[in-house]
Amino acid sequence: MLNGKAGLALCILAGLGAIAFTLFADSPYYVQVVVWIFTNALLAASLRFVLLIGELNIATAAFFGIGAYTVGIATTIYDWPFLVAIVAAPLVAAAVSALFGWITLKTKGPYFLLISFAFTEVVRLVYSKSNAIGGNSGLIGIFPPMALDPWFPALVVTIMGGTLLALFWIEKTNLGRLFKAIQNNEDIVRSVGLNVTWLKVLCVIIASAAVGLGGGLHAYANSVITPGDFTFFVAVLALAYVKIGGEGHALGPIVGAVLLTVAGQWVAGLGMQENIFYGAIIIGAILLMPQGLVGIAARVAGVAVRKGGEGTR
Amino acid sequence: MTLYIQLLLNTLQIGSVYMLFALGLTLIFGVMKVVNFAHGTFFTAAALAIATVMPPAMYQLGLPVWAAYLIAFVAALAVVAVIGIVVYQFGFQKFLRDLIGSFILSIGLVLFLNGSYLAIFGGAPQKVPPLIDVNLSIFGAYITGQRLLLVVVAVGVTVGLYWLIQKTKLGLSLRAVAEDQEAAMLQGIQFRRVALYGFLIGTVLAAIAGAMMAPVHAITTVIGDEFLIKAFIIIIVGGLGSVGGAIIGAFLIAFIESVGGYYFDNSTATIAMFVLVMVVLLLRPQGIMGHAER
Repeated sequence: MLNGKAGLALCILAGLGAIAFTLFADSPYYVQVVVWIFTNALLAASLRFVLLIGELNIATAAFFGIGAYTVGIATTIYDWPFLVAIVAAPLVAAAVSALFGWITLKTKGPYFLLISFAFTEVVRLVYSKSNAIGGNSGLIGIFPPMALDPWFPALVVTIMGGTLLALFWIEKTNLGRLFKAIQNNEDIVRSVGLNVTWLKVLCVIIASAAVGLGGGLHAYANSVITPGDFTFFVAVLALAYVKIGGEGHALGPIVGAVLLTVAGQWVAGLGMQENIFYGAIIIGAILLMPQGLVGIAARVAGVAVRKGGEGTR
Repeated sequence: MTLYIQLLLNTLQIGSVYMLFALGLTLIFGVMKVVNFAHGTFFTAAALAIATVMPPAMYQLGLPVWAAYLIAFVAALAVVAVIGIVVYQFGFQKFLRDLIGSFILSIGLVLFLNGSYLAIFGGAPQKVPPLIDVNLSIFGAYITGQRLLLVVVAVGVTVGLYWLIQKTKLGLSLRAVAEDQEAAMLQGIQFRRVALYGFLIGTVLAAIAGAMMAPVHAITTVIGDEFLIKAFIIIIVGGLGSVGGAIIGAFLIAFIESVGGYYFDNSTATIAMFVLVMVVLLLRPQGIMGHAER
């Protein structure tokens, strides 16, 4: 149902619809919500991409922040042009993630999870300690070029949608199959002569470049960034999107991001305790539907989906 | 000289709280293979229970400070044990040895419990009176009696835990399950029951740490979470699941914090800890005392 060409066409159609919406909608608020949905979907897709090799990468939040800070520094301090800054964001995120992955991917499972958590919090501390990049108050005035302004949300949504498609496409190639094979049994992959550690680092680099680009676009769309925007909590929410949507399919994180972003807006409007709401949703989802909404939909349609959450040991 | 003794004393008092906190985490990980991000909420629950029970016991019942604290301490342990049992029975039991599933559950619990604490107790920090109101001087370095008591209790609890793990039948089961769950089950050890005990011991350790910390620290609804990142660094450095590693790691991290905090500041000390973790990983990916992750 979801894997065929029809499913892909449906996704692209929905993406085009979103782009058209950002171009023609009257309300800046709804346009903003669409941009948030795509940002969150990209975060969730990047987190899920590293889940392909069986690792939970909390540092997704850190690389999102590194992309945003790259754009912020390039724009407000060095006055680099838009195009250079936006290309630099994924490159810097990829470079840092290569070093990070090279050191940390010697470990796996709980060690990697905890180190990626510590890395995220430490990177945030570094921002708030560095007065040259605004310290605790962050960077302000990150604007896209004036000429782009009217269609900037459409541009953001287009690039983010394209990145989501690219991640989906990589997952379908032989490289993506290798990543899944590493999750299932990395010794078998090693036994045919492939360098497993290098493949894992590559997976983290791809995911980090994607989310770094997302962070760069987020910096422009928001025009203000602070260290507090990039806590490990960003990755936790991304994980909630993945879990609620279902991690068995590339569409899962996107479905989750749409639902939770909209629901989050609704809750914020009610003035309720947001944390209790998100906590209850996460607990309910993991207890009641461990394979997420896409998993349930697939089961209804009679399609077997890879069982998620296992294979990490 | 006085300065060095002072820094050493600081290391001792910071380290003893970290030790209790990290021991609970590492025990839960060892037995259940669960990374429990909700560990800090147990610590917080205990501190909040002390702040709730102690003042009325003192001012309305007219009890002396130590009796009020003792009642509050028992109440705190009871509250946390109940939370622990509920959370285990309805949650973690379904995710034993499932790293990602249990992590997500624990994150949901952090959000839910911290949100509930905030809704019930409000955001204002609370204070309770100290148990012992004396300052001790050791070679010119100072330590409050309260904090010295904390160190003594932490060491006592750790010795007790060590005895429990090394000398009792339950300890043997805990070690067997941590070593190889399937082999332990083949020997007739009831894994689920042992996992419950391991989890409860871990939560009670967090509760003791929280209850001991309450009289020396402003009590907020997120007090436990401040320890989380350092506790994780401690158990990575020490080796996940290793009791000895958690103890060594706790004092190592406390040493960096007290020395780094004195010469630089706390954030710089935390960054230094992370660099230490990276170096340890490059040399010994499984931590100082850990076994190879296979």
